[in-house]
Amino acid sequence: MSTAKFKGKWIPWLFLLPTLIILAVFLYYPVIQTFRLSFYRVAFLGLKTKFAGLENYIDLLHDSSYHHTVWVTLLITTAVVIIGLGVSLAISMLANQKIRGAQIYRFLLIWPFALSPAVAGVVFLFMFSPGFGVVNYLTSLAVGHELNWLGNPTLAIILVIMASVWKNLGYNIVFYLAALQNLNTEVLEAASIDGANSWQRFWHVTFALLSPMTFFLLITNITYSFFDIFGLVDILTKGGPQDATNVMIYNLYRDAFEYYKTGLASAQSVVLFLLVVLVTVIQFRTSGRQVHYGG
Amino acid sequence: MKQRRVIFSIFTMLILALVIMVVAACSQQPATEGGEKVVEVTKVVEVTKIVEVQKEAEAAVTIPEGATVINFWHAFGGGRKLLIQRMVDDFNYTHPTIFVKVENKGSYRDTLNAAILAAQQGNPPHIVQIFEVGSQLALDSGIFVPFEDNAPAWAHTEDLIPGVADYYNFGGKFYSMPWNSSNPILYYNKDIFRAAGLDPEKPPETFEEMMTVCEQIVSSGAAKNCVSWPLHSWFFEQWMANMGAELANNGNGRDARATEVYLTSDAAKQIVTWWKEMYDKGYYAYSGKLEDWDGADAIFVSGQAAMEITSTSDVVNRQRDAAENGFELGTGYLPYPADSGRHGVIVGGASLWISGGHPDNEMKAATEFVTWFTNIENAVRWHKGTGYFPIRKSSVDVLEKEDWFDRNPAYRAAFDQLLNTKPERATQGAVIGAFPEVRTIIEQAIEKVLAGQATVDEALQEAKQKADKAIQDYNKSVE
Repeated sequence: MSTAKFKGKWIPWLFLLPTLIILAVFLYYPVIQTFRLSFYRVAFLGLKTKFAGLENYIDLLHDSSYHHTVWVTLLITTAVVIIGLGVSLAISMLANQKIRGAQIYRFLLIWPFALSPAVAGVVFLFMFSPGFGVVNYLTSLAVGHELNWLGNPTLAIILVIMASVWKNLGYNIVFYLAALQNLNTEVLEAASIDGANSWQRFWHVTFALLSPMTFFLLITNITYSFFDIFGLVDILTKGGPQDATNVMIYNLYRDAFEYYKTGLASAQSVVLFLLVVLVTVIQFRTSGRQVHYGG
Repeated sequence: MKQRRVIFSIFTMLILALVIMVVAACSQQPATEGGEKVVEVTKVVEVTKIVEVQKEAEAAVTIPEGATVINFWHAFGGGRKLLIQRMVDDFNYTHPTIFVKVENKGSYRDTLNAAILAAQQGNPPHIVQIFEVGSQLALDSGIFVPFEDNAPAWAHTEDLIPGVADYYNFGGKFYSMPWNSSNPILYYNKDIFRAAGLDPEKPPETFEEMMTVCEQIVSSGAAKNCVSWPLHSWFFEQWMANMGAELANNGNGRDARATEVYLTSDAAKQIVTWWKEMYDKGYYAYSGKLEDWDGADAIFVSGQAAMEITSTSDVVNRQRDAAENGFELGTGYLPYPADSGRHGVIVGGASLWISGGHPDNEMKAATEFVTWFTNIENAVRWHKGTGYFPIRKSSVDVLEKEDWFDRNPAYRAAFDQLLNTKPERATQGAVIGAFPEVRTIIEQAIEKVLAGQATVDEALQEAKQKADKAIQDYNKSVE
């Protein structure tokens, strides 16, 4: 493969310009504004601003309900990532088998990904709503007991985790299936010949070879649980009961657009941003090293 | 094999695209805020149909040359949006020099946010519908001018029903024109009352009666639960007013800016204690989610509860639900604790605000439209189409002459309750800058009490601290 070179220095920049403009207008500028606003007290989405120094950050630091929000976010993220990746890997292994109608199964497994979080939220809400939800109808038939999925803090967290895992299954399965289909079967055959049982073949060969994909999904899933979970929380629980499912992104939205505390919300998005950066760096430093990219 | 795979993936993509399109079309979210609902989630099909009709209507209308264009933003969807469009079309037809461009901007909050952002860019809409708890925000934003400054006196004085006029009077100025006004009433299922051996024409009036009626309904097995209403601060606020208790200091925030809320008052404790007892005995049921209007509706309409307390703006919907589900609907007043007497209710809903800084002819045109839009005959039309009550005494007279209330008894309670309201600071409703946040704080406190995680005193004490801080932070940001 030969590498073509541009003649002038400015030509590549010219080609990059449209992208750079879009990034600057829709990404960099808002980010800078967010950082700036986090040092101000802002009334009504910016009609009045007053410099406040680190006041917003200090408020966050002392606010025990914000600490709670951070813990809830970490808890839900951990659960969604571990359960989500585990279940999708298991399903992908099953769906990767050569059976009749495999394509149809694969398609059906992928489609939840095509739903918007709002729709997924409404579907789960109709199923789990106390009083008229089908899940409670079934549990009351089976065990004669109804569970208050939306009113009980623990159950509400479980519900949000279930919904988020389900919603993201399709995405994870697409990637895992693609990775599984590209696996080098020779290595697996070699392992069989060496007498490895099916668990050993899975753990030492398949799982190891899948590690780049797992690593990629780990990062996308963490980002998903940090940000995209918003729609589900908004529809399912509105952060309740008693803030049990009030994740950082939802708390931020409420402060910004419902309570008009733009400065405080900006500080929260800076914190969220730093947290994501931190998690990603830690991952690249630790698990990133163990990823096996060899083919 | 490879070809088949390609064909399959194309097929898959097509189906995916289809699913996404369907989903996008259906993802109309339920927007429930303030004292009533704006869009109902189950009406997706209707809404899309209406949107189509709407688009046709928009395409057909062209702005007449030289007409003054007035922008009017509101928060209604569904049938209400269509009704508004028809009324605006009538106005445009009869006022050829003015063209009102009407737009739906999503929920109440979205509409207010959009208006503030537009004002920041120097181009605010002339007329904005703002929900009652956004009043202090609207005042502080400095975008709007008092309605009475430009309007003829007859449009905003004597003829308005006192309770309605009082709410929108800030610092002695009549600021915005009440438009969709509602309050909470009791809806009940007469069939369940009969099954429980109760008089179907006698809904409970007091907290105490509610308790005994509920005991009979639940113990007789006529219904699983007795009553439902959304766990929404709006009901708490209404009960405070009904007991004659103010919610915020400085005359409910009307004599001067409110700096604290009276969440630890005896009235507040009495309401929450009763609420908790109703819940513990299995009489009160809610969906488990805050501000879930649809959830409370479902509990009542499905017959799981014999009664529902919700907005008068639901009269039309509940009548239809009753017809569809084959039960007889009755309506009554919002119950109150016997020892405090009934003081009345606060006007919920929203009003029309006119923004300042436009050229003279536009200010005049905007005022003319608002005056026309809320005149006697349009108030009648709006009431019949939605269940929101007419804001003019003359409109009530018109309805009385038509025997409207005799033919539609369900509307009667909504109405009388407002007319019988005592004019005082408590029933005028609180004006608090951080009201949206204070509402959540109140709801979370009640939620905590119901779940048994805190006593009434503890929860209200904590809520008061939080709410006061929110109010003080807000006040700091605008002063």
